Amino acid sequence: MDKISRRSFFRRTVAAGAAGAVIMAKGAASANGAAGQPMATVIDLTRCDGCANQNTPLCVAACQSKNRSRFPEPVKPIMDYWPRKGFEDWSDKKGLRDRLTPYNWLYVQKVTVDGKTVYAPRRCMHCDEPTCAYLCPFGVIAKNGDGSVVIDPDGCFGGAKCRDVCPWGVPMRQAGVGLYLKLAPKLGGGGVMYKCDMCHDLVKQGKNPACVTACPQGAMTFGDRSAMKQLAEARSKEIGGYVYGASENGGTSTFYVSPVSFAAIDRALKEQKVVDGKPGRSGMPLKVENKVDQLDGWATGVLLAPVAAVFAAGRAAYKSLASEKNAGDDSDKGGES
Amino acid sequence: MEKLLESEGKVLRHDRTVRIIHWLIALSCFVLVFSGFGQMPVYKRYMITDLPGLTWTADYFITLKMHYVAAVILVFASFWHVVYHGIRRDNGLVPRKGDFGESVRIMKAIITGGQEPPSDKYLAEQRLAYVFMAGTIAVLILTGIIKTVKSMGFVLPEGLVFWSTQLHNLGAALIVFGIVAHLGAFIVPANLKLLGSMFHGKVDLEYVKHRHSIWYEKLKRRSR
Ligand code: HEM
Ligand code: SF4
Ligand code: SF4
Repeated sequence: MDKISRRSFFRRTVAAGAAGAVIMAKGAASANGAAGQPMATVIDLTRCDGCANQNTPLCVAACQSKNRSRFPEPVKPIMDYWPRKGFEDWSDKKGLRDRLTPYNWLYVQKVTVDGKTVYAPRRCMHCDEPTCAYLCPFGVIAKNGDGSVVIDPDGCFGGAKCRDVCPWGVPMRQAGVGLYLKLAPKLGGGGVMYKCDMCHDLVKQGKNPACVTACPQGAMTFGDRSAMKQLAEARSKEIGGYVYGASENGGTSTFYVSPVSFAAIDRALKEQKVVDGKPGRSGMPLKVENKVDQLDGWATGVLLAPVAAVFAAGRAAYKSLASEKNAGDDSDKGGES
Repeated sequence: MEKLLESEGKVLRHDRTVRIIHWLIALSCFVLVFSGFGQMPVYKRYMITDLPGLTWTADYFITLKMHYVAAVILVFASFWHVVYHGIRRDNGLVPRKGDFGESVRIMKAIITGGQEPPSDKYLAEQRLAYVFMAGTIAVLILTGIIKTVKSMGFVLPEGLVFWSTQLHNLGAALIVFGIVAHLGAFIVPANLKLLGSMFHGKVDLEYVKHRHSIWYEKLKRRSR
């Protein structure tokens, strides 16, 4: 806990400075999201009914229509991921609405817990310390001041490392698109990774994400991160419930509130095979540690190494010079190493 | 400190401190290359993980930890090298005017079996290679530190993160090239004579007299 607050302190200090600069540069900014303040979503599971009388939940439909123009259009035939056989192609399953795919960045899980049916809209959590962004080997996942974590489809190579290091396996890969096609498509790269971007463009304009606007039950609330965290805690207290997402993976920008425990939801998701072990469906595991965070000690070591080296080397150098003098070596100095 | 050991027929070329720092840099670079490539999603893709005993290479957090541990060693050793030799004003590896032309003449002599120009402690091409290696390691350390800071949770400008990452990857490619060239140099029989000096510190006196005659003169003057 201590650690998280220290880290979020750094982040906020820097983010606040950046936000100030943005406001100065742009004059007046309307909402906080537009000013680059950290934002978040509360997803209230007591309110979501999975849009029971609709074919597709309205948030999912809204996400679809908002983002359709950005969905991948792969060039076929697609090559195997040499030396392996096969590739990840979702382009003939564009209609799937019951899992995350490159063509579906939000879906609603349905699960029964203690006789109660729970619906949980699932998408990227927009982590405070996004392991996906920290570890992208091409540096093309941005963590923005508004809290959104955004993959740049033009720089992504589709190695899927971000999915492997995401505790929820969120980013989904489509082969046959992106930068790798221009280099050595047979030998390296695998496509482009896709996921929710928190409607970063809308948020920049001071608007809510499309899914939040679309929900007829008001199950999602979007706003200032600290206010949303308070709201989630207050609501949870009110119903004697639970919050998910406030501390997982070091904290996220998505707070689920549920009347039943997330441990029970996670168990039920697995038992009822909502989580089928294949990409695009994940449970709600508790106690998700941030694995990059855990290496902070070594990272600090990297930053301290120069200081230690300067002192140690300075001492050693003067000692060696002194001992050469003592040895009566008063001709031309040390020369070379 | 380097010196003539005439009774042994040897010259002490690298003292213990220099040898230790050299091996710390070499070893850490080797681990950094291996674990760095582990950070690229390549070991799983190219089935390295299927080789016996190498399944763990698929785990990014294991290879990242290795990368950090080796980075601590490389950063320490590199700063040590610069500060130590900077204070001592050791400048044997700093390139001089005319090093390009001279290294061409040396290469020619090696290939044609002709007479090499006399050398100081280091050959002209060693001085040039040093600049290449030191420059590449400097880029890797600088961009690596930026990446480290980013991964500690500081929000850095997107462009800075992007370009550091790209330069870090470029540096990694260059250092692999540098290491291959460095090892490749020992195919040349004349250079092979130097190999032992990185283990026990010494080279043959006859070799020094013959190939590094400028250095020999300096050593002689100094030991008088
Ligand atoms: C011989 C020297 C080095 C080589 C060959 C090397 C190579 C690599 C490669 C290929 C990657 C994966 C690509 C990427 O994630 O950008 C990487 C990642 C990384 N390197 Fe290095 N590197 C070297 C030195 C260093 C040093 C000295 C540091 C720290 C000061 C460092 C810090 C990092 C970090 C923190 C990451 C990745 C994870 C992250 O982005 O946080 N590297 N390195
Ligand atoms: S925030 Fe936007 S991109 Fe994300 S799930 Fe909702 S509609 Fe889709
Ligand atoms: S949930 Fe996964 S994809 Fe989303 S920000 Fe966190 S680590 Fe990245």
